[in-house]
Amino acid sequence: MAPSEPSHYVTLISNDGFEFIVQRDAACVAGTIRKMLDPQSRFVEAMTGRCHLSTLNAAILEKVIEYLYYNLKHRDAKDVPDMEIPADMCLELLLAADYLDV
Amino acid sequence: MLESRRGANNVIRGPQSALTDFLASNNISAAQIRSDYERRQRRAQEQHAQESPGSQPNAEQAVAAADGAQQVESAVRQNKRKREQDKAVAKIRQGKNAKNHKKAKGGNSSGDDDDYDLSIDMYSKKKPLPGQLENCEVCSKRFTVTPYSKTGPDGGLLCPKCSKEQETERKRDEKAKQKSRGREKRRQTQSNLLDGIAQVGPRTLLDLCLKEVANNIHEVDEFGDLPQSLLKRLSQILSKQRLMNPRTLDLFLRPGLESISLYDCGKLETDDFIRMLSVAPTLRRINLQFAGQFKDEVLDYMMERDVPVKHLQLEAANLVTNAKWTEFFTRCGRRLESLKLAWLDFAMDDDAFVHLVQHCPNLKRIRLRKCFKLGSRGLSALSQLGDLEHLSLQFHSQQSVDPSNITGLVAAMGSKLRTLTLENFADADDSVLASIKSGCTKLTKLRLTGSLYCTDHGFAQLFSDWTNPPLSLIDFSGNRLLDCAEPDGPDQPVGLASAGFEALMKHSGSALEKLEIASCRHIDRDCFAEAFNGAINCVSLRELNISFLTKINSGLVMAMLKTCPNLLRVTAFGCFNITDVRVPRGVALIGVPNAQDCIVQEGNAGTGFLP
Repeated sequence: MAPSEPSHYVTLISNDGFEFIVQRDAACVAGTIRKMLDPQSRFVEAMTGRCHLSTLNAAILEKVIEYLYYNLKHRDAKDVPDMEIPADMCLELLLAADYLDV
Repeated sequence: MLESRRGANNVIRGPQSALTDFLASNNISAAQIRSDYERRQRRAQEQHAQESPGSQPNAEQAVAAADGAQQVESAVRQNKRKREQDKAVAKIRQGKNAKNHKKAKGGNSSGDDDDYDLSIDMYSKKKPLPGQLENCEVCSKRFTVTPYSKTGPDGGLLCPKCSKEQETERKRDEKAKQKSRGREKRRQTQSNLLDGIAQVGPRTLLDLCLKEVANNIHEVDEFGDLPQSLLKRLSQILSKQRLMNPRTLDLFLRPGLESISLYDCGKLETDDFIRMLSVAPTLRRINLQFAGQFKDEVLDYMMERDVPVKHLQLEAANLVTNAKWTEFFTRCGRRLESLKLAWLDFAMDDDAFVHLVQHCPNLKRIRLRKCFKLGSRGLSALSQLGDLEHLSLQFHSQQSVDPSNITGLVAAMGSKLRTLTLENFADADDSVLASIKSGCTKLTKLRLTGSLYCTDHGFAQLFSDWTNPPLSLIDFSGNRLLDCAEPDGPDQPVGLASAGFEALMKHSGSALEKLEIASCRHIDRDCFAEAFNGAINCVSLRELNISFLTKINSGLVMAMLKTCPNLLRVTAFGCFNITDVRVPRGVALIGVPNAQDCIVQEGNAGTGFLP
């Protein structure tokens, strides 16, 4: 059932039904998602490449994904400029970051 | 008097300008002038409207003249003409308004009042056009205006010379700003280094969000159900920024809360502490630093509400009296499992400590820092705490403590102790080390600092054939004789020296996670070279403090970094022989000014996938 060659992209789904197709590398920046997608775990998420994140809405998930790509891009860089966090979503994003382990 | 004046004019006036007063005294009214002006304008507009070719009124007029005068028709005509006129005036006024809007540039853009706009138009001075002459705003020199003339600080024009000066000044300012930004960045990097953060890659989203929340704390109404770990981090950040006040305290409080840590209570009053306990009477773990206003009343309330506090940590709670401490220990002492008190120079005397020992039999951890009134009676009483596993004492510089008190304490409870800290213990001598060796069998952490009398031989003896398993934390910093007559120290080394260090590494090197040997100046270079030549496997060593060890040089640091693959932080203040070190990425080398420019972040030691 599991695909022999895991796809380069995975799908992250927010609780209000929005689907984000992101690079596997980027998604794996987040510890929780990495564990979900670990082929060893034999979770449904790992089999299908689709992660339902039922605690995050689309707006937060979009921002999180923005960070995932930002992190991926600057992973080895020095003196990275901080990513802008909108003040009105910082608390929700904080909870999301804690949950996703990023 | 006032009444009569009011009666005469029947208007209420605001303050008048001097000019208006003067004009009024000469029987000239500003309002009169303005209304005259407006009337003239209106007339001119009327004329303009009438003269415009092909306009309705003209045509009609001609027709009317031909028809001959009829009363009714003329009345209709007059009405119509008036309407047309009004329309034209309104149109012109609108056009003028629009122009004024453009000129005002946000200054007074409301412009609903037509009269006001007209008057602005009337009084404002026109800016000279290119080619005209004007006086410079700064140097008052007369010059020819060009399209390139700059605007001065007050809105006037500047002569070419002043324009140039202004331009260069602006550029200089910009440059300075850029420079300071660079400096700030470097400063931030250094500040991070001091915190042990050798940054590789971007900061975590969690850190970014925490920073953002702390920056916008004034707009946060509640934290919601943030987990305890995040509350703690937020409390740390807010305390560091000195933002912990009654309002921010409320954010941390919620019913059912079991643990609270406030690292700066300097702005909190007694009532705030009581409110904290009334909102969350379920607190089990309380940690309050700089809690100067933590008074008897708070402990009273704690006893009244029967707060089930097990872990109590207070700093600077000096206004709690001895009697209240005694009462508190008597009533709530049984449930206390850990007690950490610091900076008590007024209360908590020996009697209170004796009470503490009597009524708190379940204490597992006790930490007393700078408790000025703690004397030998209190110290020897501590030895009756049967379950104690963690003992930490920090003395203040003027406190003289008889080593026999400590040796007695260690001998009595050493076999149960897991951690032992004796900081700033100036009077410690070899007998203390001997008692540690004979008494302690399951220590994982040993800290003994600031002693003036412990010898190298004593340390070597401690670590040779000690039945205690290898330690994970050792701190022997600042053990040396301070004598101005002998700046290089005595011939017989005082404090940890070569023999002691060798024995230490042999005994604990394999398990050490943190080693602090700052100011242990008698350790030889050869001894270091031998310890870090790869013979002893220091895989777990993560933090190393070698400050003020002037014999350490770049080569030794390189050897340390090589043999300890998991090293994350090396503190080396005052090591002036460290000049050029290639620091692996992820490692923080702190306090080395000479090596500043030579630090190269290279390799990929110790970097996981996540930052």
